[in-house]
Amino acid sequence: MKKRERSLEELYRDDPERADALLYNRKTGTSRRGFLGGAGVAAMGAMVGGTIPFSQNMPAGFVPAAFAQATPPAPPEKKGPQLLDFPGKDKNLVVLGDRPLVAETPESLLDDDTTPTAKFFIRNNGNPPATVAAPDTWKLAIDGEVNKPLEISLGDLKKNYKPQTLRMVLECGGNGRGFFSPTARGNQWNNGGAGCAEWTGVSLADVLKTAGVKPSGVYTANYGADAHLSGDPKQLTLSRGVRMAKAMEPQSLLVWAMNGKPLENVHGGPLRLIIPGWAGSVSHKWVTKITIRDKEHDGPGMLGTNYRVPINPMVPGAKEDPKNFRILESMLVRSIITSPANGSKLAAGTRELKLRGASWAGDLTVKQVEVSVDFGQTWVRVNLNPPKNKFDWQRWTANVKVPSDGYYEVWAKATDQNGKAQPHVAANWNPQGYGSNPFHRVAVLIG
Amino acid sequence: MNTKKRAAFAVRSLFAGLLVVVAFAGVSAIAQQQPQFVPQAEDPDNFPAGPGRDDAFYACAGCHAFRLVANQGLTRERWNETINYMTERHGMPKLEGKDRELILNYLAKTYPPKQEQNRQFQNPFLKQ
Repeated sequence: MKKRERSLEELYRDDPERADALLYNRKTGTSRRGFLGGAGVAAMGAMVGGTIPFSQNMPAGFVPAAFAQATPPAPPEKKGPQLLDFPGKDKNLVVLGDRPLVAETPESLLDDDTTPTAKFFIRNNGNPPATVAAPDTWKLAIDGEVNKPLEISLGDLKKNYKPQTLRMVLECGGNGRGFFSPTARGNQWNNGGAGCAEWTGVSLADVLKTAGVKPSGVYTANYGADAHLSGDPKQLTLSRGVRMAKAMEPQSLLVWAMNGKPLENVHGGPLRLIIPGWAGSVSHKWVTKITIRDKEHDGPGMLGTNYRVPINPMVPGAKEDPKNFRILESMLVRSIITSPANGSKLAAGTRELKLRGASWAGDLTVKQVEVSVDFGQTWVRVNLNPPKNKFDWQRWTANVKVPSDGYYEVWAKATDQNGKAQPHVAANWNPQGYGSNPFHRVAVLIG
Repeated sequence: MNTKKRAAFAVRSLFAGLLVVVAFAGVSAIAQQQPQFVPQAEDPDNFPAGPGRDDAFYACAGCHAFRLVANQGLTRERWNETINYMTERHGMPKLEGKDRELILNYLAKTYPPKQEQNRQFQNPFLKQ
């Protein structure tokens, strides 16, 4: 009978060499000590949050203590969503994946005008770097198609450039993916891969001006300090970029503070990009280098169907034609109902629903938001606030009459400044599920 | 304490020692001021039993949580593409031959496309 594998801990206990082979392709020398190539050491380093010196002396099959401690026995699978248990974070965030850590904010938790850091979604692609003791020593390099390549510390960024604070939406490129049918590949986000925080930093354009972008510089290539999930230092987790015009927008920032506090490690601290309106992956966390390129960047996350949408609509669920894809640039228009929460029970006799929500539209502004409590038969326009600054979200309120007790669904539909509204169902299906923005639906029961 | 448990304990103690060495070797500049997230442990037993379950688990869970896999619902063809995608985009070692077949069979059987929810309309073009 085939040998049964168990948890990592048990696997290592019972057959350490097999565990190495399974998990890391870690090959053991004839002396039964040390590693011979493979990504094993790096993988372990990533797991324990640092490099492992003297790894050549590490006996085969040994699981580092930090790693062993990081794997408490698996609890029985619980029904319902896994809630985030992380210091400083709201306990109602929903974990979509815990390795890498991905957690979304339920729409009803986005009811604040400014999203508190505790409620802000988390999207990691790789293993975050360890927290830095002296953030101001963090270094950013600017190179490539520039007259004067730079290496500048965070301390000097703060000193030499004019800081500004803007409230702007940051949204995961895959936000809304869970609404696609058939299921698109990846984290199954509802609408909560988004939040709107106060970001403090300096304009990327100002820093690029110091470096002097040559006329040949047309695209950025962003790099960060997060490690590939395999731990292989030769592999990049993600490296995306934007057209120079987007990079040069005054709201594209190098950010070190969020909601007035130093940027936390989990949100990309000490230094990250915020390039608002586009998929969150261009707002590189733990940013270390921006290379200016003379052509569209082709790093991991730029090609194939990554952060791309079909040019001509494809058959949902079918095999894609790689030539039929273009880069997803601006995110699409979206609105969410932040109160009442889905599943709310209201007192019998309630005849008016007091609704609150938020809406945003990538690079654009929102022209109007409408709500319906009768499955779209009639629509009511909400009171829509203007944005505080460009890329801020627009909060809205509405009081809507209902004729009786019973089951109601509230639907919300936003329209952007160009007249494009959210569709009834997720449109323009693609294998990795970008650009899904159907109406938000919230069910309430009166009585 | 049985022999196996004692051995595991010894392993851990040794590594606790190693980490002290690591700290002195220069990683000490990095301070853990902010908490790092500790992922939940996963076990193949958390997922539906079937031939290839453990192989699929260990092929995927070396990098990311297996729950990410379990949350997908794909046709066999798209699972097959996903295995290629993981190699091409995310650097997974190539899966070939019998191993690939076994893992693909498990994924396609255990995580097929999900029932359409909240929609009466069925896509007429997609063969399930």
